[in-house]
Amino acid sequence: MLQLRDVSFNYDGVIAVRGVTAEVARAQLVGLVGPNGSGKSTLLKLLARVLAPAAGAIEFEGRSVRDWQAKEYARRVGYLPQDPDPTFPMRAIDVVVSGRAPFLGRFQWESDADYDEAAKALSLCDAADLADRYLDEMSGGERKRVFLARVLAARPTLILLDEPLASLDISHVQQFSNLLRDIVNRTQTTVLYATHDLNWAAAYCDRMLVMQKGALALDAPPSALMQPDVVRRLFGFDARVVDGWLVPPVQR
Amino acid sequence: MGTFTLTASPRGRRLAGPMFLLAAALLIALFVASTFGTTAVSWREAFAGNVTARTVMFDLRLPRVLLAALVGAALAAAGVTFQTLLRNPLADPFILGVSGGAACGAALCTALGLARVPGLVSIVAFVGACTATAGVFLLARRREYTDPTRLLLSGLVLNALFSAIILIAFALSKASDLTAALRWMMGTLFGATWSDVVLLLAFVVVALVALVTISGDLRMLAFGEDDAKSRGVDVERVKLIGFAAASIVTGAAVAVSGIVGFVGLLVPHLVRLVWRRDFRILLPLSALGGAILLVLADLASRVALPTSELPVGAFTAILGVPFFLSLLRRSR
Repeated sequence: MLQLRDVSFNYDGVIAVRGVTAEVARAQLVGLVGPNGSGKSTLLKLLARVLAPAAGAIEFEGRSVRDWQAKEYARRVGYLPQDPDPTFPMRAIDVVVSGRAPFLGRFQWESDADYDEAAKALSLCDAADLADRYLDEMSGGERKRVFLARVLAARPTLILLDEPLASLDISHVQQFSNLLRDIVNRTQTTVLYATHDLNWAAAYCDRMLVMQKGALALDAPPSALMQPDVVRRLFGFDARVVDGWLVPPVQR
Repeated sequence: MGTFTLTASPRGRRLAGPMFLLAAALLIALFVASTFGTTAVSWREAFAGNVTARTVMFDLRLPRVLLAALVGAALAAAGVTFQTLLRNPLADPFILGVSGGAACGAALCTALGLARVPGLVSIVAFVGACTATAGVFLLARRREYTDPTRLLLSGLVLNALFSAIILIAFALSKASDLTAALRWMMGTLFGATWSDVVLLLAFVVVALVALVTISGDLRMLAFGEDDAKSRGVDVERVKLIGFAAASIVTGAAVAVSGIVGFVGLLVPHLVRLVWRRDFRILLPLSALGGAILLVLADLASRVALPTSELPVGAFTAILGVPFFLSLLRRSR
């Protein structure tokens, strides 16, 4: 459903993404990993049409991303930035229903059907009880679930998440990872998410994309990445692999 | 919002109820404000054919209360737009140098002894406001992108420069010209004419129509520019239309009334405390709320002392702040 050919981007001459070529199929959970500043967020923004590539081409469902009408594209591709934060705290249900905006005409208001869709998305994220709460009364994990529901409310076929697991406690990391897996399995959606947690990503993803200095350094199933020599080469991390998990050698 | 809410529908998206409520309140405010004043005349006398009553009502009070309503609506609509576009709750209509530019123009008129030429101060103030805003934009814009923080800083710095010019202009002005200039800088609706009303009405209508057209996009912009872009919003276009409409309508309001503080900052927050934080709702309700507040503030400034008028900008704060604080305490 998604094809990248030699995609590059730079901020004021500083190269952020260089020559990325990749292909992503339907119904996949894909982990986007790499050190800080390796270009993960920029790549997601390029796919979300927030930025336009300086060179190369991105195709979504066989059509160049550039050629999609903006709202048409927004109905199919949902994007969650790293720290979404409305200037003024809002109710969760109002946040989620705004995810239906790409379906509304210029002067059109949300219908009851849109609110039903929003409520459904909230329950899917195990956040139905948060509907009438305000964002500033929520914990970081609760807010993450509300914003994921906002993305899901549009029922996109491609979901792009920028570090959805950051700042979550370990039980929420597990809950969130299960949720993403579940969405992919049940709705045939493709989810591409950036994360720093190799272990969790490897445990749940079908595939891992590793970015390094803006380039795609590895595109492989998790088992191929979770090898001591590969992790040392790509991340500078000395680890043993125990039951598929990376464990640092610690001497006390 | 806890237990305190005036939202009619449980899902809170209906606009008609709150708009009707505020429109009715505005009509009452307009009626009350035109009934009271230093001269004791009534609508009944005016309609009965009393010449003095007619003159006071139709030539003095009515244009004045209507102008107050329009200035209040213009400033509150501009305020809520700036707060949304700049993603900053402290933004007010004057934040991008509009007030500084306008005041600078007026002060230069005063220093050159031209302040008594009819209409000249208004025109120069409007030109000053537009020039200042355009300057702020040119300073803040880089590679077809307007950064909100750079806009805020550019506005702040230009306003500081204008203050310096104003001080120098005042130092060079004749003492007899200064009173009028100071009155203008404190904001006043004294001497409002029907042509002021018609002129400002045109600006307010055009600005509101422009803002309503992009209000769905501005609502999405509350979640951040990247988020809005990913939802199909043409962010740079929306910013351009929003800033232009809000700045021009502010410039027009300043030209007819001087610098009336606080309405543009306070009213959007008042509306936010009661109703949903959705720009499509905030815009019309802020405009109505601003109109009500300024009509009442102007009434208070006229009748507080029997002998002279007090600055209307002071009364927007005196009336607005207690109301705001009580709402703040009753909401979450």
